Amino acid sequence: MTESRITLDNVSRFYGEVLGVNGVTLSIGPGITSLVGPNGSGKTTLMNLITGLVRPSRGRIRVLGVAPSQPEKLFRFVGYSTQFDAFPKGLTGAQFIYSFLRLSGQSAAQCRELTDRAIAQVGLVEAADRKVAAYSKGMRQRIRLAQAVAHDPRVLILDEPLNGLDPLVRSETIALFQRYAAEGRHIVVSSHVLHEVDMISDQVVLMSGGYVVAEGRIRGVRSEIQDQRPMQFLIRCRQPNRLAARIFEQDHVVEARLLPEGEGLLVKTRDADRFCRTLNHLALDGLDIEGVIPADDNVHSVYEYLIGGQEATP
Amino acid sequence: MIRLWCTQVLAIVRLEMKKTFFARRGLWVYLLAFAPLVLFVSHSVATGHRRSQLEQMARNHPFSRAAAGDIQTGMTRDEVTQKLGEPYSRWDRPTREGHHRRHERSHWRYTDGQSELHLFFENGKLTGTHRSELDTLPKVSRIFAGVFQSYYLRLAVFFGCVGVFVNLFRGEMLDKSLHFYLLAPARREVLLAGKYAAGLLATVVIFTSSTALQWLALLWQFDSAVVSEFLASTGWSQFSSYLIVTALACVGYGSVFLAVGLLFRNPIIPTAIVLLWEGVNPFLPAALKKISMIYYLQSLCPVDAARGKDVPGLVHLLISPVQPATKSVAVLSIVILTGVVLVVAALLSRRMEINYSTE
Repeated sequence: MTESRITLDNVSRFYGEVLGVNGVTLSIGPGITSLVGPNGSGKTTLMNLITGLVRPSRGRIRVLGVAPSQPEKLFRFVGYSTQFDAFPKGLTGAQFIYSFLRLSGQSAAQCRELTDRAIAQVGLVEAADRKVAAYSKGMRQRIRLAQAVAHDPRVLILDEPLNGLDPLVRSETIALFQRYAAEGRHIVVSSHVLHEVDMISDQVVLMSGGYVVAEGRIRGVRSEIQDQRPMQFLIRCRQPNRLAARIFEQDHVVEARLLPEGEGLLVKTRDADRFCRTLNHLALDGLDIEGVIPADDNVHSVYEYLIGGQEATP
Repeated sequence: MIRLWCTQVLAIVRLEMKKTFFARRGLWVYLLAFAPLVLFVSHSVATGHRRSQLEQMARNHPFSRAAAGDIQTGMTRDEVTQKLGEPYSRWDRPTREGHHRRHERSHWRYTDGQSELHLFFENGKLTGTHRSELDTLPKVSRIFAGVFQSYYLRLAVFFGCVGVFVNLFRGEMLDKSLHFYLLAPARREVLLAGKYAAGLLATVVIFTSSTALQWLALLWQFDSAVVSEFLASTGWSQFSSYLIVTALACVGYGSVFLAVGLLFRNPIIPTAIVLLWEGVNPFLPAALKKISMIYYLQSLCPVDAARGKDVPGLVHLLISPVQPATKSVAVLSIVILTGVVLVVAALLSRRMEINYSTE
């Protein structure tokens, strides 16, 4: 089981007296895992630790059973698209992908084929023979992504991979991640675009100040904090006053507010499961409930609740 | 496995080639390497021109070397003219000393096409002679040896290796592109070997080609028969020795500065320390001398440049190892020193991290 997961066991990294990450214990399975946190929360450090670009001050890391200190094994199945926006000088997009593929020891023909495929995957076919230095920010982002996926890795570590992409390419890239995830690969993404994280992630890791403050499936994380932060539901119904009176009888409901247009209620509860069961009973009793939408069951809300006033990564 | 490593090393060399040979920031390496070539070409052109001038003069004003042996101080200008004939160049200048005495000074020059005989007269009497030879191959070979040991090895190859090898890692760190190498499925040691091979290829090509061209430039002024004779006797052996010493200098200094580039954020201080260590080598005790590259490189140089009488004292000290090592010991020592430095660098490379923000 461990062999199919990325595991970090009490990993810390200090830069002199500055904390990078501290005491991080994680187990990341296949699918899309998003790292979310404000600037300096340790997302990039965590990715660099997983890929061996920096070494942990203490703790143990294994990527599908391989230590990051063994790049010759690790990067056979790991691809990393970093945030560093710099490239070796004088290379075209195709030369860049091809040259670094050659470092894996594959034949020239294989590398050419993989290069063409990777460039096609990120939609840079027409720009492949242009110098990377002449690329736009979005194109540079895509060529970095192409380099990370070129050798068809089972594990993809992507630091802000959607930055600088236009909406069309962004959605194509998300589709690519989802396809990889569906194939059982591990995709670890850091992103500050919370609604996208919410849309694409199977699980999230919320980070703040070098610590992991929450991890897991977003609903699971949300449930864990419902005592401190009651969950909110938006209920559309024709008799909001009657509904409000009935649900206030429940001890787990802490607030019920009528919506301005009188089309429903905003309810806060400390027990989402019991609340949903109550709603079912009320519906069976004849209350006309048109729809129930969790109002803060998303990454953004969880992020706000857990990390509070700290600013998200720009 | 070894085949894979070789393939990876080759891939790294291919990637590095453009940077090591054609980088704009590496232009000064070419200047260092080819500066002596400019010097030797100019010298050769000037000497060749002078030689043809003298040959022309010798044809127009024939002069016998044997007769020059009969010339003695105190002879009059007429007596000299009787023995040697008319000089090809004469310079007579009347001067006054005090208010009454009138002096006349003359400088006559004769040539046989290979050398010049200078005669100095005062008031019509020969007061002194001086013979100046045009460059001969032994003399030229000593000049080359002096420049090679005092400038080329100690400064040009040394700083050339600083420029190329330090940048292999340091330059990429500054450009923030080193991580691409570290994200490849290659052992760090292989990465280091690839970078070292690329640097070595570049420096060996640049510096040995400059050595060869300098050598050719010096020989160019001589008659082809003289050159053929010289090459057949000791010339080829000297030539190949210089090429080997140049290549070994790149091997040795290259490894040192590759390690410096890996270890130090600012390579200036360690470079200065190595330069100082290599510089003070002649003054070190015998045991310490042997922990340096220059001692072994000088031991391999084919010509004792310090043999000439006109070599300044300090230069003499710099270009002559007191007790040179034998050739085999010298080569082996350079290889061992290089190996030790590369092993240390390989161990360091395993601990290398990417931390561009502190650069």
